[in-house]
Amino acid sequence: MTVFTALFSHYRRHPWQGTALALLMLLATALWTGIHHLTSQARDSLGQSERLVEVREQVQRVDGAALTVEDFVLLRRQGLCVMPWLEVLPEGQSRRVIGVDPLAALCFQGQADVASFDGQPLVGQPFLDIADAAALTAAEQQLFLILAAGEGPLPSAYRTAPFALSPDTGQLGDSFLLNLDALSVLVLLITGLLLRSVYLLSLSQRRDSFALLARLGVSGRRVRGHLLLELLCLAALTLIPGIWLGQALASVLEGGFTNVMEGLFDSRQLATGGNHWRVPALVMTVLLLAVAMVDWLMPMVARATPGNRLRPAAATLLVLVGLAGVWLANALWLLFVALALVLAGIGWLMPRGLSLLSGAGVRASAQPGWRWWWAEFGVLCRRLALPLVALQFSLAMVLAVQALVITFEDTFDRWLSQRLSADVYVQVPEGADSALAANWLTEHLPSADEGLWHHVQRGSGRFRHGQAWQDVDIFAVTPVGPLMTGWGLLEQTSQPWQTLASGAGVMVNEQLAYRLGLSVGEELELVLAEQALKLPVLGIYPDYGRPAGEVLIAGQILPADFEVTFESFSISPASVPIETITDALRALWAEPALTIRDNRAIQDLANRVFEQTFMLTRAMTVLTLALAAVALLLMGWVFLSTRLWYFRLLEVWGMTKAEIFRKLLLLALAVTLSAAALALPLGVGLTWVLVQHINPLAFGWSLPMAVYPVFWLELLALALLIGGCIALLMRRQLGRPAVRPSVTGSVTGEER
Amino acid sequence: MGGELANGENVKVHSAVNVSGLRKTFGQGDSAVAVLSGLGFALPAGSSLALMGRSGSGKSTLLNILCGLEQADAGTVTLFGADGRTADWPCLRRERIGVVFQEANLMPTLSLLDNVRFRAALAGQPETRCQHWLEVLDIGELGQRFPDQVSGGQRQRAALAMAFAMAPDLILADEPTGSLDRNTANEVADELFRLQAETGCSLILATHDAELAARCQQTLDLGHRSGG
Repeated sequence: MTVFTALFSHYRRHPWQGTALALLMLLATALWTGIHHLTSQARDSLGQSERLVEVREQVQRVDGAALTVEDFVLLRRQGLCVMPWLEVLPEGQSRRVIGVDPLAALCFQGQADVASFDGQPLVGQPFLDIADAAALTAAEQQLFLILAAGEGPLPSAYRTAPFALSPDTGQLGDSFLLNLDALSVLVLLITGLLLRSVYLLSLSQRRDSFALLARLGVSGRRVRGHLLLELLCLAALTLIPGIWLGQALASVLEGGFTNVMEGLFDSRQLATGGNHWRVPALVMTVLLLAVAMVDWLMPMVARATPGNRLRPAAATLLVLVGLAGVWLANALWLLFVALALVLAGIGWLMPRGLSLLSGAGVRASAQPGWRWWWAEFGVLCRRLALPLVALQFSLAMVLAVQALVITFEDTFDRWLSQRLSADVYVQVPEGADSALAANWLTEHLPSADEGLWHHVQRGSGRFRHGQAWQDVDIFAVTPVGPLMTGWGLLEQTSQPWQTLASGAGVMVNEQLAYRLGLSVGEELELVLAEQALKLPVLGIYPDYGRPAGEVLIAGQILPADFEVTFESFSISPASVPIETITDALRALWAEPALTIRDNRAIQDLANRVFEQTFMLTRAMTVLTLALAAVALLLMGWVFLSTRLWYFRLLEVWGMTKAEIFRKLLLLALAVTLSAAALALPLGVGLTWVLVQHINPLAFGWSLPMAVYPVFWLELLALALLIGGCIALLMRRQLGRPAVRPSVTGSVTGEER
Repeated sequence: MGGELANGENVKVHSAVNVSGLRKTFGQGDSAVAVLSGLGFALPAGSSLALMGRSGSGKSTLLNILCGLEQADAGTVTLFGADGRTADWPCLRRERIGVVFQEANLMPTLSLLDNVRFRAALAGQPETRCQHWLEVLDIGELGQRFPDQVSGGQRQRAALAMAFAMAPDLILADEPTGSLDRNTANEVADELFRLQAETGCSLILATHDAELAARCQQTLDLGHRSGG
């Protein structure tokens, strides 16, 4: 029998403790691996998507007809470097595959993303050979021809168009990734807390063994070395299945994630090639080592940290400094650091707060039975401090994310309804004269009875910011009418729409107002096609989902030589049928293939996309909460097992098992309920930081702050459920013979 | 294994405890260990009985059966005239039977005085007498201390204070001085026997200590089998 086997024999005697430790390691690894896997895939997909949209142009037929293989052959015969790109949605599936021709990609030398298909085997995730893609039974399929950058003039029957129709989403994508990263760091923090608590518990269970080994002459250094070895053995057993489970978890969530990526960022497929197991394995190993080695560093940490009396003051200071940082931070990373300080301070204060509550309860109770109950409550809170803090953080995170999601869904839905108030939207084809359409609409839809419409022109202008001039998106509308005047404004002057319609002012989106610190009434200096304007800001409108600043003006003040990059008509027909309108527009523009979009369908799609986004975020937070709940459950159970003797004493003193169970139930409920109650203000604070600080910094827009007390009640009920489960687990234990605590244990004072 | 009363007294009609044909076996089949085999004895009210025997001879098991924490496989137990099979054991333990173990008799989260008050309150006894019991046991000035702040002997005195504060009819003491040094053990034993005599309660004392056993009015030897 070696020292190692003697130490490890503890788990042979108490297999459930070893199982609990291993199970927690496994679940924690799985959760973090899953989140890391998804984040990495998102990062790869966004990178791939951005590279694709960066330099690509596509070829289109001038007559608007769909491209065919013959078009490809014709262009290649003329010496143009084009590559077919066949997007196929296989029947009965929700994920598109992309067929490419590796041979055709040979001419894309130096353009890494497409040239990377050169000679590489295509495994169908998501790219496959174009012949295989064409052979699939497709629910939808579309052929694109991608043109290499700098290729010569096209035959007259063809024209170029950008390959990606969406705006550049790089900044939004970065923010999305930053939020995912922040979430995974928070999950890692919670995981670390849980692992540390289980590790500490396993140490406290073996206190007598350590004392015995010390008496037998085994040095503390050697014991710690063996404990580390033991932990690494456990890690070796749990890390691999944990990583496998995490990847399985990620693949379950992948479907929703793919849609999110596709809908939000025009990332046409989720990259699946990467095998993201090395980083989780490394991170979890380092985390485990850190969990174990904190004890070695403890003497140094103890010297560096203030004494017991000063710790609450130091923790309070940490919270205050963090809060000031949250208030003042003007960069996302600073905000996250400040938030980390707040969380660290709160995590430090929480056990102290519960201890004070327990002390007050003891002092206020006249009956010794209640004094005992309050004192036991204090011991439980102290011994389960780490998993309780983890549960508190998880609950707060769930609460904040849920509040954010509900607020966003509600706000976004209202905003989208206002933005898409017209029934349809018709894109003005390139080269078409929009004035013809405007005249026709003025003539045939003169009042709301016939229908409502407005003409949208988009382009770029400049505005003065201090001494510098910066580019800004221009959004011009003619006429400013009922399709717009229902928009909700964040700030406004009196009669803003009438003034905007008269051309005597502009409105700006929230992003621009936030960046410039603009408020209504202030004047904005604009340059539109070399024409300088100085107009007051009449209102600030919300503009979710994109980071760019934008100025809304009446179309009448747009100079004639303003370069319009995009034009459309928003139309809500009433008595005039839509077919009459679209037929007229086709005839006016001599364009057989008009792009007509049903705004209701767009709204449904957008809502579905955001639903999926938040389903993913919810899934991650709920999984973290589940992990924290399981950890507390296991820890509570294992720890209460060590108190079993004292509950047995109550039985010896004449309490019935039912009475003891009620006391135990009340204790477990009080402990979990306390964590939940303390999580509520933290969760509300986190919600405030998310909607009022992180969103403006990351996206440029904020959301209204709202609280949802019904969800608070649901979380409190969840906490009660966890407490109830701990008590039920203990109920089984109460029927078994209790082990008397050792004398050494009872005289150290650790049991109170 | 049957036990026999060392002083050969006859069973009295008004006994505090009456046991007959008591059997208890742990385990099954080849690994079964019979710790009590047809045990019988009677303890008159107000008298004391020492249970002797080596470790594993069934002393603690018998005490557990006598306070209803374990059930015998066969035989009858009668306490204060109540049949053990139908007795309200929690009520008996709460109000009439005081149990003192070798150690860990106190709630570590309560002061000595609160421990005594807790026990007295459960038994329906006035809490006002609790400080008195601590003083009787010579630890009156330690009432506000916690169990980890006093010595082993002082903890056992507090355990006795708890037992007597509930005004028991019977005290079951499982090696109450087993973890104490000789002098302290003698002092605690002195207090136990003095108070037992003063309050008139019955006492069953499990011990390895022949000297201590000799101070009881009766001795029941459970045999010399070692194990379990």
